[in-house]
This record gives sequence, structure tokens and C-alpha cells, in this order.
Amino acid sequence: MGYLSAAWTVASRDISRFWKYRFWLAGQLAMNLADVFIFALVFNNIVNKAYIPDYLKFMTPGVAAIATFAAAFSIGREVGVEIRREVTQYLLSLPMSRSAFVFGRILGGALRGMIYQVSFLVLAALIVNVPTTTKALYIALTTVMLTFSMSSLAIAISTSTKDFNLQATLRALTYYILFFLSNVFYPKEVLAMRFPPQILQIVINTPVSLASDIYRWGFGYYENVDAVSKILLLLIWSLTLTTLASLAYLRNLTKQ
Amino acid sequence: MNLNTLRALYLLILWDLNKMLRRAVFVAMRVIWFVIQVTVFGLALTAMVRLRGSLPVDVNYYEFYLLGIYTSMLFSISVSRAYDIAEEFEEGIVEYHLSLPISRRVFAVGRTIGGGIASFLFTLPMFAVVLWLLEDVNVEAVIISLSSALLFAMSITGFVLSIVLSLKSGDATDIMFGVLDSLLIRLSTVFYPAVVLSRYAPYLYVALVNPISHIADFLRTLFLFEEYRAIAIASPIAMASYILGLAVGFSSLAMYIVEKKVEGGGWR
Repeated sequence: MGYLSAAWTVASRDISRFWKYRFWLAGQLAMNLADVFIFALVFNNIVNKAYIPDYLKFMTPGVAAIATFAAAFSIGREVGVEIRREVTQYLLSLPMSRSAFVFGRILGGALRGMIYQVSFLVLAALIVNVPTTTKALYIALTTVMLTFSMSSLAIAISTSTKDFNLQATLRALTYYILFFLSNVFYPKEVLAMRFPPQILQIVINTPVSLASDIYRWGFGYYENVDAVSKILLLLIWSLTLTTLASLAYLRNLTKQ
Repeated sequence: MNLNTLRALYLLILWDLNKMLRRAVFVAMRVIWFVIQVTVFGLALTAMVRLRGSLPVDVNYYEFYLLGIYTSMLFSISVSRAYDIAEEFEEGIVEYHLSLPISRRVFAVGRTIGGGIASFLFTLPMFAVVLWLLEDVNVEAVIISLSSALLFAMSITGFVLSIVLSLKSGDATDIMFGVLDSLLIRLSTVFYPAVVLSRYAPYLYVALVNPISHIADFLRTLFLFEEYRAIAIASPIAMASYILGLAVGFSSLAMYIVEKKVEGGGWR
């Protein structure tokens, strides 16, 4: 079996198993929609309009960015269960190279993220604005890179321990760090008021912040964003995270 | 209640406390998570919120947020007992517990109290951070708030125990409590006062019966200001009664489920 064919076999298996978790997906969908239709909608009434004229429109592209986490992390949840129940012994015995297997898992997670995120991109188009063809291309590229980053991160984190509670906590902790240390909830101007420039630079250059800014620009909430440099920075993040996570997953797969 | 029952209760409480002590990394991570929430998230939200004009009283949003986020953390940590119990079920420990010469009723009460105390102790460092940030607090308010937080943690643990032992599924537990955690926190007064929620009637109705709203607003009336009582979800006595009722109700539910419904095996 060739490298890509093997990776695709693993990824397509992961995609087909995605629908098995329809209740889990419904739960995740409820959580992300709650951020838009409960948190953002209610919070819009107490936000200073000088900073954010419409909090609902501001939040929706950000939630589309964070939504990739939920679906891509479903693969993390699955590999976590495999490690706990030692299904990994069976997976390692499959007739394919370990690197093809690892790449297939990351690809599967990324594809899950893309499938899940589509509904939130449509929601952003409905709430904010419909993007032009060029901007839609930027949005698509951003989605690919972001989902690969999230899928890699999820796999590395979920396989780092066999403890169920610790796995859940690590997932939640990563989610909150990615979520809060980003501009999903607040614009750069607000962050600049409260935090030193160094922290501000970190926050606005995380993968989720970069993606949120590109989405906001893509859907027409922001007019002036340097989308090219943000895409390039996101590419560096994506390549780094995918490489590091692949190595970590390989190590965790064979760890006794 | 005889001496053997008390000893059984003590051992069950000790079981939960020992489990928590073995989770130093877990505690440290939750504390980091909390620190991020009160520093980065809390300060940024405060910078962009404008309550003047939206509320009939003057409220410092950061102080409002601190007590809200502590409550949400207490709720999330109490809910995370679900994962512990799910893991025990997977490892056969629940069957072992059920086979012990302890009545089911004592088992349910012991796990509810033990889990509640463990969750409560877990959040004490976070509570200390909140008190430090609030600066001017009186001892009476601290004692009452600690007691209500303990009762709240026990009631949520009782609820979690009942549900996990009824579901008997690790996946269902993971999904259900993940959703419940995020929905209930957003549909409560953790981030916004009830007056703001009242613009959306269905959200307000959920917030009115949501235990998180009651404990959050109760702590706010204790620590923040007399004026806050005007916009709290209910009167302080009503909120305190609600928290007490919840603890009694969910402990009774746990006793009923464990005594009448739970059998070993069948875990999915």
C-alpha cells in the first residue's frame, strides 16, 4: 500500500466514524451556537459600542474559528480512548508505515474539522456578509491550515496520558487557552488597553487569532487586514504544530 | 445512625479526598485555567463592558465577573466528578463499592458528601484569589459563602452521581456533561446580570431556575454591595433556600438511584 493511499484509508475510516458521534456532534454544535446566540447576543447589550459596534457580528467569525477545535478534537478524544483501551497495539500491527498512519489520523481530524466548520462559515455569511470569490479562497485556505493545526494538537494532547479525567482536563485547558488567549472575544484595541505590548503580540499571533482576523476580513467585518502575512504566519504555525504533534503521537503510540 | 455507618461514611469521604490529593497536576492545571480567566479574559471583558445606563445600580463589572467565574469554576469542577465516576465504572471499582458491606443509601450519601468536599477544597485556592482581588471583605461573608459553596458542590455531585450511574456510558457522560456545563454557564448570571438577560425571555426563565445563577448572585449580595440586591435573581433568603433545597433534593435523588436502580455491569 502506498504512503498516500494508506494515509487516505486511515483518514476515510476516521471520517466515516465521525457520523457515529452524531450526538456528540450535536452537543458540540449546541455549545458553539450557545456562544453566538446566547453569549454574544446577550453581551451585545452591555458592550461599549465605541469598541465593538455589533458584538454578534464580531463574535460569529471568531466562533467559526474556534469551532474547528471542537470537531478536530473529536479525533483527539478517539485516539485518547484507543490509548486507554490499548487498541493501539492492533493499529500498529496494520500493514502500513507508522508515519502514513499518523498522517492519516491528522488528515482525518482536519477533514472532520472542515466538515463541521462549514455550517459556521455559512452562519457567518448569513450574519455578517457573503464573501467575494477571492476572500472565499482565503477563508478556505485558512480553514485547511487551522484544522490541521487543531487536529495535530488534539492528537498530541489526548495521547499524552491514559487518565480519562486528565485527558478531558487537558483538552479543556487547551480549549480555554486557545479561546481566551485569542481575539475571538475581544478586539485588538481592547487588549492593547489592558495588556503590555509583548502579551498583545502573543495573543494576536496565535493560530486562532490569525484565523479569526482573516475570517472577519473575509466576511467583511474588517476592511483592512494584511491577509497575506497572516496566512503565511498561520502556515508556519500549521507546519510546526503538525510536525511536532506527529512526533509526539508516534512516541505515545509505542510508549508502554 | 450507628458507629459503623459513620465509619463507612468517613471511609467513603476519605476515598474521594485521597483521589483528589493524587491529582496535584490536575489541580495545578485548573488553577492556571482560573488565573487566565481572571486576568486575561476578565480584564479584557471589563475593558469593553459598559454597564452604566444598562443597570439601575452602579456595578463594578470586574468584581461582578470574579464571583461569577468562581461559581462557574466550582460548578465545572463538581461536574468533573462525572469523569471520575465514569472511570471508576470502567475499571470495575463501582461494582467493588457496591459489593462492600455498606448500605446503598450510605454509599450514595458518602460519595455525594465526599465528592462535594473534594470539589470544594479544590476551588479554595481560586476562592482565595477572588478574596484577594476583592480586597475589602468581612469574615461573616467569607464563612457564609464557604458554607454555601460547599452545599452547592455537594448538590451538583449528587446530581452527577445520579446521572452517571443511570447512563452507564463513558461517552454519554462525556457528551452530556460537556453540553450541560457550557449551556448552563451561559444561561446563568455568571457573565451578565439578570436585568440584561431579561431582554430575552426564554434565557431569563432558564436563568431563574439555574442553580449557578442563584449561587453566583448569592455570593455577590454577600460580598459586593447592598445595591446589588436590587438586581439579583432573587432575595438573599430565597437564594440561600434554593441552594439548601438543591443539596437535599439531589442527595435524595442520588440515594434513590443508587438504592433502587443501580446494578453492577452493563457499562458501555
